[in-house]
Amino acid sequence: MTIPDFPFDIVWPVALLLAWLIGEIAYGRARIPRISSYALVGFSLGYSQLGVLPDIGSGNMLLLANIAFGLILFEAGHRINLRWLRHNPWIGFASIVESLLTFAVVYGVSRAFDTSANVALLLAALSMASSPAVVLRVINELKSSGQVTERALHLSVLNCVMAVFVFKLLVGYLVFESSGSLLQAGYKSLLVLALSVLIGATFGVTLPSLLRLLHRTRNDATLVFAISVILLVALTHYLKLSPLLATLAFGIWSRHRRVLLRRSERGFGVLGDVLSVLLFMSVAASIHWRLAASGLLLGLSIVLVRLAAKMITLGCFSYPSGISLRKGLLTGLAMAPLSVFVILVLEQTRYLGINLLEDLSALAAAALVLEIAGPLLTLLALKLARELPDKKGD
Amino acid sequence: MPLEDFKPSNSLTLGVELELQLLNLSDFDLTAASDDMLELLRRNSFPGAVTPEITQGMIEVATSISLGHDDLLSELRRIRDTLVLAADRLNIGVGGGGTHPFQTWQEQRITESPRFREVSTLYGYLAKQFTIFGQHIHIGCRDGDEALFLLHALNRYVPHFIALSASSPFIHGHDTMFQSSRLNSVFAFPLSGRAPAILRWDDFVNDYFAKMEHTGVVKSMKDFYWDIRPKPEFGTIELRVCDTPLTIERAAALACYLQALCHRLLGTRAPGNVVTEDDYLVYNYNRFQACRFGLDGVVVDPHSYAPISLREDILATLMTIETDAVALGCETMIEHIHGIIREGADATHLRAMFQTQGSLEGVAEYALARFRGDDC
Repeated sequence: MTIPDFPFDIVWPVALLLAWLIGEIAYGRARIPRISSYALVGFSLGYSQLGVLPDIGSGNMLLLANIAFGLILFEAGHRINLRWLRHNPWIGFASIVESLLTFAVVYGVSRAFDTSANVALLLAALSMASSPAVVLRVINELKSSGQVTERALHLSVLNCVMAVFVFKLLVGYLVFESSGSLLQAGYKSLLVLALSVLIGATFGVTLPSLLRLLHRTRNDATLVFAISVILLVALTHYLKLSPLLATLAFGIWSRHRRVLLRRSERGFGVLGDVLSVLLFMSVAASIHWRLAASGLLLGLSIVLVRLAAKMITLGCFSYPSGISLRKGLLTGLAMAPLSVFVILVLEQTRYLGINLLEDLSALAAAALVLEIAGPLLTLLALKLARELPDKKGD
Repeated sequence: MPLEDFKPSNSLTLGVELELQLLNLSDFDLTAASDDMLELLRRNSFPGAVTPEITQGMIEVATSISLGHDDLLSELRRIRDTLVLAADRLNIGVGGGGTHPFQTWQEQRITESPRFREVSTLYGYLAKQFTIFGQHIHIGCRDGDEALFLLHALNRYVPHFIALSASSPFIHGHDTMFQSSRLNSVFAFPLSGRAPAILRWDDFVNDYFAKMEHTGVVKSMKDFYWDIRPKPEFGTIELRVCDTPLTIERAAALACYLQALCHRLLGTRAPGNVVTEDDYLVYNYNRFQACRFGLDGVVVDPHSYAPISLREDILATLMTIETDAVALGCETMIEHIHGIIREGADATHLRAMFQTQGSLEGVAEYALARFRGDDC
């Protein structure tokens, strides 16, 4: 055993245990969403803070985090009802307006802070995305149900898809500016996205058919779905496609192919729990305080205008879409969490040969704030919307 | 507070209340959505009435006063369409069925209101366990005496309504082997069962109700969970044993079966022909037979003590009340009830669906489609 290997293997499980412990205490005492605690522990122990945890950038941890993320996204996709968008077109309109407005205000604020146009565009694109992962974990943990719950989840998934698209488009355009046109960049990005959706959809069509063939729909299919998600993430990772879109598409197609996940298996049970501790901890651990601090002011401004854009849009669309103004505003609040995929994307872009990380320090700051505060805001929104069961359980 | 006066109604007018399920369309479990539904439904005028129920995965609708089958069915259609439209906008499923096949009572949330709070405090888990769905049928009566006459004369027909409406074979994820398991949940309440054999309204008010009120056990008629109870403020009797059927067509047919029966009973009402305590000797047993076996149940005739097949008894009754049905303009009901006898009650279809679909989620989804009026 070489010395450098030893701490790595031991440190992670110990950190997981610590995160779990603090998560339980905070949840038990103050009902603080567990993932907030995981993020806090992860960040504190991170490479560039206390330095206990090694850099997540190393391949295996990133893949594991991606798998954890993939499992959550599969479940989020599985809860998306595309028919709802047809029955109530205002949901789709609200999503588009909300995403565009977020893009515009974040771009505006970034420019006001003297950020270069290119970086401001990237910041704006990534800020569009709420985190379906955080929203879903909080919903599952608190067993919330109601319109704010449903809408926050659907809208988070939708704006994530739009954010991935715009981001890929911009990266393609900005990075290869010299060698190609916007059209070409758009074409390439579209191809990557289409392939990602296609491969996810293929999984979503084949697996249910396979289960039917084996007459396994009667029994619980969660295990095979978990394994398939892992395979899908590994595959898209290898092919440099978008694991996010692929796993989402997998979930959506499985749902519409009428394969059901049992309620008891929400969040993929213990496997999902273990991986989510790892995910939220390692994502926060990858944020460098020095970097976040340098972009703190802009980061905080982005957090605020982004939240305002979402709340205002959803407030305006509340009446036509069938809910009260109050629930509309709260839906916007519940969508505060910034997608963890932001960090994963940032990590991955390193390998593309561009270092966005330094340029996007403001986003690191925003992500840090929202990794910890985001779940709390979602909790607050659900609580104010009275979509949580009573504490006593009655 | 003494019981209020019996408000006279036009004889044999009709009203129906349906308790309906609100489902999450991702996992087909009950979902706490009544607040959101009511919020949206309040924006426009609702045909009939819509109110919250004890837990938030339930919603109750009621028709206004109807004269007959067509009237009732067209109002039920408008109610159903309004509900389905609203539910579609909110990504919620709305459907019938006496129980949800796999919900667990622990997960249910009590609706915020003083009365529901009070019930929940008094009855503990029974309140959440009361997340069951029934159809209540009101029949207008001219006075209290007529109400009590009908209430007791109907007792031997109660098993018919249980068997015909049965749509609760599953509870908490298991097949109960009952056609209607819902009524077992009602039976847990101390003031459930049947009304005492009192035939004069004055006696009911001054002797029975006044005494019961004095004991401190009840405050109003609402505290009785009887199978049939008088409703003096509406001027009706209310039959409460039916499971909510999967379709509104069945709800209308059941209501008119009761209407035609009452028409016959009033037409053959004779002074010496009074219900006594002895008529209730076999009441609970017959009720059990209907819950457990549905149309295949064998009930005991309260007078001759002869065993009768419930299916045969219903067919014989249909023949007897045919002229009454014609007089009331609800002949379609006769055809509908014959259809139930031929093809089985909703519970039978739900079980068959479990066999073909392989999951209770599939059963719940089927119930949603049936309520919308989709062919399946």
